[in-house]
Amino acid sequence: MADVFQAGVLTLTGGAARPACSAVEDEVVALFDEYREPLLRYLTTFGVCAADAEELLQDVFLALFLHLRGGKSRANLRGWLFRVAHNLALKRRQRDRGGAVAGLPAPAQTPDPAPNPEDQLLHGQLQKRLAAAYRALPERDRRCLWLRAEGLNYREIAAVLEISLGAVALSLARSLARLERCAER
Amino acid sequence: MARDPHLSDPQLLMELEGELSRRAATKIGRHLAACGKCRARRRALEAMIADWTRLQRTAVALPSGDGPRALLRARIGRLGPPPAGPARGALAHGKLTLAACALIVLAAAMVKHSSPRPVWAAAVPDARLTPGATLRATRESVCAQPNTKNRAVPVALRRKVFESYGLRDASPRDFEVDYLITPALGGADDIHNLWPQPYRSTVWNAEVKDALEDRLRDLVCGGALDLSEAQREIAADWIAAYKKYFHTDRPLEPR
Ligand SMILES: [Zn+2]
Repeated sequence: MADVFQAGVLTLTGGAARPACSAVEDEVVALFDEYREPLLRYLTTFGVCAADAEELLQDVFLALFLHLRGGKSRANLRGWLFRVAHNLALKRRQRDRGGAVAGLPAPAQTPDPAPNPEDQLLHGQLQKRLAAAYRALPERDRRCLWLRAEGLNYREIAAVLEISLGAVALSLARSLARLERCAER
Repeated sequence: MARDPHLSDPQLLMELEGELSRRAATKIGRHLAACGKCRARRRALEAMIADWTRLQRTAVALPSGDGPRALLRARIGRLGPPPAGPARGALAHGKLTLAACALIVLAAAMVKHSSPRPVWAAAVPDARLTPGATLRATRESVCAQPNTKNRAVPVALRRKVFESYGLRDASPRDFEVDYLITPALGGADDIHNLWPQPYRSTVWNAEVKDALEDRLRDLVCGGALDLSEAQREIAADWIAAYKKYFHTDRPLEPR
């Protein structure tokens, strides 16, 4: 946690409560409710454990609060949130280098609510194959695919990963082809 | 293009995304209208994305957001008012909740060059170098974590601590780099919160301080003591805090 400080993550300064900001606060909490799960899922792909991801998320949304309170741009807040989360996770990982390798976290552990056991079994096998294919992808391709599946558009993905729009399309095409091959086998 | 008359996957994806230039969109639209193979390929790509999305959504089990939401509200509530001028951003880079200045002065007074130094002088840190630093922890976040033993301080940071204390040549065996405010009470892994504790200070040693930290943590998590108060007391003079909370003038025998 030392480098939470060194990485320039904001910390609170213990001031008095301030009801005047309640409108911004409500807006931030609404966004928190909307994007907490996708952001948490994304953070876990950096090998961040659940508790740390939740902690990073607090920093992300405190930063968002300051961003909005400071009257900064409201354009594409979803992209903004993922970008900030991405950068914080990278910093965290640099610090914990040598820790867990990023990957799809335990895909088979959560049973899918399938209508009948047969479907569930088939689906489970497909899941396993897809998860294996995913894990074999290069990291940037994994992130691209992950962000797309979280509903980000290509422009948002390009901004988060700092690559071009065309590179997003190429990466996704590569990943989808790989997943497809593995799903058929 | 001439070799493969059909559309590439990236082209189809850009088409699905609506990111083609108008000219390319017209051309590709015309091809799609005429080519069943490319339409099928486009459907397959969409289906693959949908399959993956479904898997991804179920891959990670997430706990309820009620606690984190409440924590976020509390933290927003504790943010100070917006800064007066535009230059002083509220997003304070690397800002720590340093123990209050008054306490720094108070603690500095104790280690001032009043010779002979008390026996325990080195058992408390130099307040100018180690005033104590905390993360923006709350009682909830601190008490939600298990009370683990302090993790080892990274070697590079440890070296910096030694240097700041002018112990460049000291044998690391003589000192242990210890946290002033323990991470179990929201203390930071920061040079302002670390000091070289001599192994030879046998009376007020790290084990005694551990006992104090456990006591304070119990009080904080039991709601009997404010976290910030506990942090202040330990930063100002942990030995005085020990005496206060254990009602004793000397360390108790370890149980
Ligand atoms: Zn075609």
